[in-house]
Amino acid sequence: MSDFIQYFFNGLVVGCIFAIAAVGISLLYSVLRLVNFAAGDFLTLGAFITYFLSVTLELNFLLSVLVSMIAGMAISWFLELVLWRNLRRNKAGTLALFLVATGVALMLRPLIQFLFGTETRKFNIDILKTYDFFGARIPQTQLLVLIFASASILTIALFIAKARIGKDMRAYANNPGLASVSGINVDRVVIATWLISGALGSLAGVFQGLVQGQFNNAMGESLLLSFFAAVVLGTIGDAYGALAGGLLLGLIMELSQLGIFFGGVPSNYKPVVAFATLVLVLLFKPEGIFGYRARKV
Amino acid sequence: MEAFLQPGFWVFVLALAGMYGIFSLGLQIQYGVGGIMNFGHVGMMAVSGYTIAVLVITYQWSFWWAALVGVILAALLGALLGLTTLRLSGDYFAIASIAFAEIVRYWILNTDSVTGGTQGSLAIPSPNGFGGYTDQPDVILNWISDRLYPIIGEEASRDLSMVLVVWPFFLLFIWISSRLQKTSWARVLRATREDDDVPRSLGKNVFRFRLQTLIIGSVFGGIAGVFWALQFALLAPEDFLRIVTFYGWMILILAGSTRVKGLFVAAIFFGFLYGATRFLEFWPLSLLSSPERAYLRVFLIGFVIVLLMVKRPQGLFGKRQEMVLE
Repeated sequence: MSDFIQYFFNGLVVGCIFAIAAVGISLLYSVLRLVNFAAGDFLTLGAFITYFLSVTLELNFLLSVLVSMIAGMAISWFLELVLWRNLRRNKAGTLALFLVATGVALMLRPLIQFLFGTETRKFNIDILKTYDFFGARIPQTQLLVLIFASASILTIALFIAKARIGKDMRAYANNPGLASVSGINVDRVVIATWLISGALGSLAGVFQGLVQGQFNNAMGESLLLSFFAAVVLGTIGDAYGALAGGLLLGLIMELSQLGIFFGGVPSNYKPVVAFATLVLVLLFKPEGIFGYRARKV
Repeated sequence: MEAFLQPGFWVFVLALAGMYGIFSLGLQIQYGVGGIMNFGHVGMMAVSGYTIAVLVITYQWSFWWAALVGVILAALLGALLGLTTLRLSGDYFAIASIAFAEIVRYWILNTDSVTGGTQGSLAIPSPNGFGGYTDQPDVILNWISDRLYPIIGEEASRDLSMVLVVWPFFLLFIWISSRLQKTSWARVLRATREDDDVPRSLGKNVFRFRLQTLIIGSVFGGIAGVFWALQFALLAPEDFLRIVTFYGWMILILAGSTRVKGLFVAAIFFGFLYGATRFLEFWPLSLLSSPERAYLRVFLIGFVIVLLMVKRPQGLFGKRQEMVLE
């Protein structure tokens, strides 16, 4: 039982982080038809900027997180202005968008290494303090991450549902032509989407860094396919679906280690569980858990 | 500047260009003809390379049979990838193919008892305690350099022998592939790239055509893996990261995805980029340490990809009108 609680709790924490990262990827796909291969490296960047501000410059941790989110937004905005806008104007195809997103990822990673080095880093937050909960070990940092991440998820969901720009985004994703004739400012929607995904990338990066305890510059990249799995699981392009898909994937990955599943998947195969989930969902339910079979696949 | 002028440097560039050119040719057939976006191509290279290492080291097979089995397994992996996920539309297939290659890499990384795990091919279990697998082909490579020694002296290296082995294959494959692309088979595929319904209405089984393309491309990926394993004589899981697939894509888009003959120029450019960031010693490169050069290489490859897709999506040799309509 305590094993179950332990894995369930871990799954919730990991799942919340997946959810936050996945919703950014899913929003970008729904608005721009862009699969953001650089999403993982934005996580790394967010974690390293926060590290630089809070540990090297000894600023307040929350302030550092805020600044790193703003930095994530600024970089996303910059790339939209110099890159993505031109590609859309040239009517770039799927392959071009894929390759440019990958190219951005390939450029970002060395930049992070160059600016912040390759050493393993940790935030100066006490990661050793743990609580005991029915025999499960609940570290304080993970509990805090869970609380803050759930709050962020609720905020995102409310924002997409209620805020004017959130509604515009959904409308544009649904039917770009109709949205622009009904007076929605397309450029504003696109930029808002980039800003949200940039901010969420940094935030998820900080959360992931806290949960791992220590992190290096490969952190985000290694998670990228798990995020895609979450996005596909929750129906690609569906923001709420991505939130649910992220949580579900987190739980699947952690609970798969329980003994009842073929004696439990060894923990170093956790990423494989995510990849396998991705492939299986694509095979048997490519429209995701919330989707209906509207498109030919 | 000296390394730049040394023949050894250019020989290395050419050896790399030959291997990655063959690798990229697989992608060219898949994308340029069939419109398939395979981002997990590196998996085929990993499978054939590791098959050779394991069969030769653990089971004492002859290198040649092991290489044949390696290429066959790469083709089978391509078939498996295709049978399971090729019915997905383009962007979904691309993501699934990455996941496929990553599963292969994780399996290699975590199955120490077979593949040597993180320590690579040196740790593959061997009955006589020796982890090398290139003895038999080395006889041929040495024979070639022995013949060259009286003519060019110290420049007769193993790399040069590799170039003399790989390039005839590369040119042969380019020739085969350009012949292949003039057949009616390729015309059907080119039609499926634009629209499934027209070839289907003519009674063509579109899925089967795509699957064949994927398998043929995987064979080239597997052959590239054989040469890779031979060139470096040492394999490790981190040699088969996702980025290697993008080396191939960079060569392909540089050449123009519909231009087979541009491939060898693009492959040499890639080899130069790779070799230069590794060996050249003049300013400002001399300021960087070797890990920093590895970042620089990744950065430059990302930069070339982005620049090409924004400024010249048809590649250096392609025509814009021939671009795939998507």
